[in-house]
Amino acid sequence: MSKHLLKFTVNGKDHALVVNSHDRLIDVLRNELGLKGTKEGCSTGDCGICAVLMDGKLVNSCLIFAIQARNRKITTIEGIGTAEEPHPIQRAFMKWNASQCGYCIPAMILAAKDLLDKNPNPTMEDIKHATSGIICRCTGYLKIFEAINTAAIEMKAESK
Amino acid sequence: MMEKPAAREQKQQLQFVGKSLGRVDSLDKVLGKPIYTTDTVPENALYLKVVKSTVANARIKKIDLSKARNYPGVVIVVSADDIPGINESTALLPDKPLFATDRVRFAGEPIAAVASYDPTIAEEATDLAEIEYEPLPAVFTPIEAMQPGAPLVHENGNVCKNMKVRKGNTEAGFKEADLIVEGTYKTPFQEPVPLEPEAGFVIPEPDGSVTCVGSIQSPFHVQTGIAKILSLKPEQVRVIQAATGGAFGPKSDETPVDVLGMAALVAVKTRKPAALSYTREESMIGHTKRHPFVISLKTGVKKDGTLTAWEARLVSDTGAYASLGPLVLIRACLHATGPYNIPNVKTDAYCVYTNNTMAGSFRGFGGPQVHFAAESQMDEIAKKLGMDPVDLRKKNMLRPGALTATSQLVDEGCGLEECIKRAVKESDWYKKREQFHADNGTKRRGLGIAIMYHGNSLGPEGNDFATVHMQIERDGKIKLRTALTEYGTGAPSALLQIAADTMHVPFDHFILEPPDTDFCNDSGPTVASRTITIGGRATQMVAGKLGQKLKEVAADMLQLPLSDIESNNGVYHDKSDAHSVTFRDVVAHAYSRGIALKESGTFTAPRCEYDPETSQGSFYLQYTYGAVTAEVEVDTETGRVRVLKMVAAYDVGKAINPLSLEGQIEGGTVQGLGYALMEEMIHKDGIVVNPNLGDYYVPTSLDIPEIKTIIVEYPGALGPFGAKAVGEPPIVLPAAAIVNAIDNAIGVRVNEIPATPERVLSGLRNQRK
Repeated sequence: MSKHLLKFTVNGKDHALVVNSHDRLIDVLRNELGLKGTKEGCSTGDCGICAVLMDGKLVNSCLIFAIQARNRKITTIEGIGTAEEPHPIQRAFMKWNASQCGYCIPAMILAAKDLLDKNPNPTMEDIKHATSGIICRCTGYLKIFEAINTAAIEMKAESK
Repeated sequence: MMEKPAAREQKQQLQFVGKSLGRVDSLDKVLGKPIYTTDTVPENALYLKVVKSTVANARIKKIDLSKARNYPGVVIVVSADDIPGINESTALLPDKPLFATDRVRFAGEPIAAVASYDPTIAEEATDLAEIEYEPLPAVFTPIEAMQPGAPLVHENGNVCKNMKVRKGNTEAGFKEADLIVEGTYKTPFQEPVPLEPEAGFVIPEPDGSVTCVGSIQSPFHVQTGIAKILSLKPEQVRVIQAATGGAFGPKSDETPVDVLGMAALVAVKTRKPAALSYTREESMIGHTKRHPFVISLKTGVKKDGTLTAWEARLVSDTGAYASLGPLVLIRACLHATGPYNIPNVKTDAYCVYTNNTMAGSFRGFGGPQVHFAAESQMDEIAKKLGMDPVDLRKKNMLRPGALTATSQLVDEGCGLEECIKRAVKESDWYKKREQFHADNGTKRRGLGIAIMYHGNSLGPEGNDFATVHMQIERDGKIKLRTALTEYGTGAPSALLQIAADTMHVPFDHFILEPPDTDFCNDSGPTVASRTITIGGRATQMVAGKLGQKLKEVAADMLQLPLSDIESNNGVYHDKSDAHSVTFRDVVAHAYSRGIALKESGTFTAPRCEYDPETSQGSFYLQYTYGAVTAEVEVDTETGRVRVLKMVAAYDVGKAINPLSLEGQIEGGTVQGLGYALMEEMIHKDGIVVNPNLGDYYVPTSLDIPEIKTIIVEYPGALGPFGAKAVGEPPIVLPAAAIVNAIDNAIGVRVNEIPATPERVLSGLRNQRK
């Protein structure tokens, strides 16, 4: 085991901390930085609910060593919106009652962000593929699809 | 007899009930707020890891924990020896210990737990526990377990519950029949997969009491369980439900007591907070799953499709401990012959111990298994008679005035016929059935239907009551608290809609407080879609009392007789509307006079009347009805089945929140799709071979068909505004509808689910022979 200096940016804020080689990104985010919005569901990369954005790409934070995030930009659910100003994706999830137990929702919202950042006009197939790595056991996914679709429309309208 | 809802709730303008309002828990959830158990574990907590049995059935010869205790960093190791109270963690029968002592009955049973400030150290130390086993002969199927001379899982025999239904005379009924159809159907262990595995932590309080926080369905069940283990009075155990990341049943059974019980032992011994969260594998092995059933059916029918007699034999595998197996069996037994008017019925049902992992509560509670069998059987009958499956069902289905298998008279609150009609129309049934029948490519389409009934709430399964507390704060916020929990359903949020319309105060004044045994009375378990049906009635009671109190204050303020006061949208006025005061004025006035704006109330459902010998009588106070169609495409080269479209029509009595209701129906339908096609927890000699989400498949976004929800409203006698149970029913029908669609597509009857590509291909091969 060895220790390393990890410098990275999380939700726009620079951090420098010492981590072990084997420390997982999810543990550093949750335990060192106190960002509890990232959830752990299986620890084996099967459920996808620990997903965060690394340099704008969706990754499972339970399968990434923290040190792999060196010099990278991480976005977690805490970096998406606030109670005063929820992100349009968050508003759309609320509008559709798309969160039931809520455990997969941070990852679903980040997957939606990843998709809409790259593709502002997604088809239903695009939305299905963008969320296919994340298991939701409550909703049957349909209200989540609707929410992402609504968010796409709202975001386009807002950017005009 | 109960009053009809129309009489209970005189025609009132509903402003909130029936509206698709936003859920009150949404904002925290979309922001990723730290609301779940593992988000709030105290900083100085010890972490537990569990030593579990590695064999399915054995005598324990020796438990040596000394090496684990001496491992650097380990603070304490606890086992049965450390239990001050009773070594028990059960949901119904006292057959399961918290920690095994001299015997293990399934692989994965807790034997001891190691605690350290570093969870990695605790985990490493579990490997140092030395458990010496003397293997015993084991039994892994319920049919074998019922044979004379089978290894005994428990001393009193392997059948832990049996039940029968006797209506009319089936032998006479079979004599009247022109055709007798027999079939045997099998269902798998289905794993609920709540996305948050079991988790809990316990804080020892200075006065010797403990505070437990966890991911749970039923706080008072946990309270009783922990009190027994610690030898405390129940009121010395405070249980708070954290936001719970899915449950579906098992979090009302043993695992919450297991997790919090083990943590509580460490907490009281060390006087430090102690936390335990299960890994996905521990969760999948440790908690209860849907019971596998073997179901044999024999049905007599006349040429015109009239059912004359139906016999059913059900055998369920409850695993090593009963859990709620006996209650699941009751529901399965009572619903075994489907939503049909049959003059002669004979059902025999057995719940059987094996050395598999435990089965217990899971959404649907016996309904999915028996409806899969009965609705497959109906299609086999239709095929043999050359009759359309819809026509056969319409001929025999329950309608007002018909009698169920238990001779319960079906009342006016039965919208089954409308569910079928609308599902048939939406699915384009008659046209597509004909069109698909003519298909002959390698990919063939099929359309199937299944129909159901589902007795609401507990009925014969327990005491059916709920308590609600409401309090109006000085600032006008109205707090509602109940021990009925939110774990995803949205039902507690809907209680606020019911309260708002009962009090005539706008919805945004209401706040849902978290369940906490220190601040609420027992409401029974949060299961069986009880929150709206039973909790909703308690809400109406309490909101009614509080609303009346506000009117009294308003009358005093306006110097008018109480009978003149009307309330509307947060304003109290006289009949001419000349004089009025606002809700806020009334609250301020009450506070200034020391009038407590606080009410509690308990609603208890009337008891059901029946003969326990023949199971004839009224078992449930109302029923939810439904019809589901599935359109599938079967690849005859690979055996793969894709579901393209489903129509889900349910008679829900009254939709309190249509948007949330759709979410329940869609979610249940997709869990049912998984049950039909891919979900099976596989045991090999008692060892689960797929205890992870890579090998146990659940539906992903790419498996989702178009789902058209149809809401039918025939008010029931029990629920508020006639509302019926909606959380559980949607998982009951998809498996039957999908296998019936497969049969329509390729002429293969899959009588064991899941209908995997292997099973479909094997059916096609047998067809060619």
